[in-house]
Amino acid sequence: MPGWLNRSQLVLAAALLAAGVAQFLSNRLDSYVLSVAMGVGINIILASSLNLINGFTGQFSLGHAGFMAVGAYTAAVLTGKLAPQLQPIFGGHVELLFPFALIVGGLVAAVAGGLVGAPSLRLKGDYLAIVTLGFGEIIKVIFQNVEYVGGAKGLNAIPDYSNLFWVFGTTAITVYTVWALMNSTYGRGFLAVADDEIAAEAMGLNTTRYKMVAFVVGAFFAGIAGGLFAHLNNSINPSGFDFNKSIEIVVMVILGGMGRHTGVILAAILLTVLTELLRQFGDYRMVIYSLLLILLMLTRPQGLLIWPIRKSASRRTT
Amino acid sequence: MTELLQQVINGLSLGAIYALIALGYTMVYGVLRFINFAHSDVFMLGAFTAFYSSRALGRWGFAGGGFLGGLLVLVISMAACAVIGVLIERLAYRPLRKRSTLTVLITAIGVSLFLQNGGQMVFGVNPKAFPNIFPSQTFKLGGLVINSNQLVVLGVALALLSALHWIVQRTRIGTAMRAVSFNATAASLVGIDTNRIISFTFGLGSALAGAGGVLYGMNYPSIEPLMGNSPGLKAFIAAVLGGIGSLPGAALGGMVLGFVETGVSGTRWSTYRDAVAFAILIGILLFRPAGLLGRNRIEKV
Amino acid sequence: MSASGLQLNRVTIRFGGLTAVSEVSATVRPGELAGLIGPNGAGKTTVFNLITGVYAPTEGTIEFAGRALTGLKPFEITARGIARTFQNIRLFGSLTVFDNVRVAFHLHLQQGPGQSLFRGPSFHREERELSERTRELLEIFKLDRVRNEPARSLPYGDQRRLEIVRALATQPELLLLDEPAAGMNPAEKVELMKLIQFIQERYKLAILLVEHDMKVVMGICQRIHVLEYGRKIAEGTPAQIRENPAVIAAYLGYEPENGPTV
Repeated sequence: MPGWLNRSQLVLAAALLAAGVAQFLSNRLDSYVLSVAMGVGINIILASSLNLINGFTGQFSLGHAGFMAVGAYTAAVLTGKLAPQLQPIFGGHVELLFPFALIVGGLVAAVAGGLVGAPSLRLKGDYLAIVTLGFGEIIKVIFQNVEYVGGAKGLNAIPDYSNLFWVFGTTAITVYTVWALMNSTYGRGFLAVADDEIAAEAMGLNTTRYKMVAFVVGAFFAGIAGGLFAHLNNSINPSGFDFNKSIEIVVMVILGGMGRHTGVILAAILLTVLTELLRQFGDYRMVIYSLLLILLMLTRPQGLLIWPIRKSASRRTT
Repeated sequence: MTELLQQVINGLSLGAIYALIALGYTMVYGVLRFINFAHSDVFMLGAFTAFYSSRALGRWGFAGGGFLGGLLVLVISMAACAVIGVLIERLAYRPLRKRSTLTVLITAIGVSLFLQNGGQMVFGVNPKAFPNIFPSQTFKLGGLVINSNQLVVLGVALALLSALHWIVQRTRIGTAMRAVSFNATAASLVGIDTNRIISFTFGLGSALAGAGGVLYGMNYPSIEPLMGNSPGLKAFIAAVLGGIGSLPGAALGGMVLGFVETGVSGTRWSTYRDAVAFAILIGILLFRPAGLLGRNRIEKV
Repeated sequence: MSASGLQLNRVTIRFGGLTAVSEVSATVRPGELAGLIGPNGAGKTTVFNLITGVYAPTEGTIEFAGRALTGLKPFEITARGIARTFQNIRLFGSLTVFDNVRVAFHLHLQQGPGQSLFRGPSFHREERELSERTRELLEIFKLDRVRNEPARSLPYGDQRRLEIVRALATQPELLLLDEPAAGMNPAEKVELMKLIQFIQERYKLAILLVEHDMKVVMGICQRIHVLEYGRKIAEGTPAQIRENPAVIAAYLGYEPENGPTV
């Protein structure tokens, strides 16, 4: 049944189209502005996907950078070392190699998410946070020790396939996915799990499965963001995906108000731009950043950009 | 055989340092139920306090390198860290007393980032050679190599552990600490000033971390502002391993971690040292979340 | 539901050295309104937690509709047709009243993550249908006017009622109510008794009620089971229970001459 019922999909199509147009016009933009803009898009993907886990489902993961690393390395290997073997498969369409690499990177990250999530998700709160932090660090150490992907030095000369279309197209799909998952009777289950696991279970919700879905989907998009990041920066190394990177993403989610779509997107934009602006302070950058973080927690722990009530979806179910 | 003994000695002195730091994590968790991420940076500040104070003492003509001088440096570092710990709690954590754990956890991470980056600005990024604050000598027993610093580490750690045990078990304030960690609300109902106890706990834990920093500096002769990360993580794992909230557990966990780490370092898997530590952490959390010496809690429905 | 209803066969649970429930046997027949009473700490809520799979019995078995519930997770037991409320209300506080009920239709959903993403015609049909049914339930239980309020902002009495409505949305054959009258004034209790009877008649389900308030239990239950110190000391109609010396002793706190009988 077409018409207004599928309005959300129309919005998604329009966003994809806009990403294409932006790409078409991008040669008029300054390359610095362009790379900051893509950084913004990648951070929106990371923050929205973590929001699915930490915000909507109420599970506190501190390992998002680990899944990002899995996606980044997988995609970079596919477009780099394995490109000669893969290119014939795509025949004349070499441009399809990049989306293929991104999706495979996302899938491998999703598998990693499943492997990490399956044992850890019965833990709660701080304990879950620590275990995911631990897994994130283990992923980092493994990459540090695998010579095939450059060990501690990482991978270099990754082709710069990332552009406005891929970045913002993926951003639109991520935001749509998280939004669509939440806005359905099935999806209200994520929020129910976050509110009260015992009650959710008593209402017949398989809470473990819900948490796994959130974790795997979240890891999938983190992996894609990793692939985009690798093909934007042209080089990656394990220490770029450490605990501090995970914290950065967590801060975006908290700043935006956990479990809010728009707030988290705005926070991702704000923090990316702020980080760029702080660069001029050189060594003071991280000191200022950490002080802002503390001040924020002391004054607005519920998030900087929040509305009083989580918008009800009961008036309309689309 | 000699090699094994050598490993045991190295493991003991590393484990003792981990134990000292782990105690701070576990004590704070006991009274406030949150993980103080900034604890490892207090440890770093302990090492730097020792570095600067031993220099200053030397400049004032105080014979550096003597045993008493060393003890003085240790005491200064512990006192400075106690003050820093109390300040951190007062300024950053106390205003959040009624907020969610998540908020406090993020704040703690913020404090940690602040201390590390502030440290890099104040002390510089480059590693500094740690001075010989105690007279140092190397003994050879058969094939064994023992540095007198290792003995000092063990002696100091043992003395501090006993002192802590005495404070917690025998003094009024120690009893109050145990009461708060058992049930903070009930403790405040019977007239215990919980804020004062929490301050004291932070002071005590931070002093131990400070001592740990000094001892670490003595054994690993260079120090830098990010030096807290790795030992901090290991000590935290030690605290969880022993059963977070349990003091003997933290001491035991520290020792286990020390031995595991020296053990792994001797093999070709040495680059996986940190991964092994994390694997232990994950294993414990998944299979025995209460830790080796902790108690299970049943969730009330 | 088959004729057998809910059956507890010599159910025991120990927490460490403490035996919280000891060899309790009981039956709740289909369509019956039964009560479970006993002094504080007698193990009533623990029995609920055993039935709903929050705890697993140390010994003994629990059967529902002729099938053992052993080893099932709470959500699987709900799927078998047992729904519950909680003593200390457990609503989804940040969700609206409407969403609290809507989410409880979960067991009967056709959709999953895929349909939520693709949002085809069948997805929309199901969403409309569920909205309709949710609204209907809310209207019957007079919660319709607050349907867009977050559940945690409701007054206490409404929260209790909403919890019952939410449990009904899972379409149970047996409803377990854990102290539904707690914290209510006499007038509200009378309302509640009417409500429980109304539910039993309208939805043709069995209800097992844990309750402290004797008036409520005696007023509506057809059969009453009495626990003391984790053991069952009596069972019978309200009239029989009122006369039972062991029950009187348990509630008044002295030993009758012949002692409590199991």
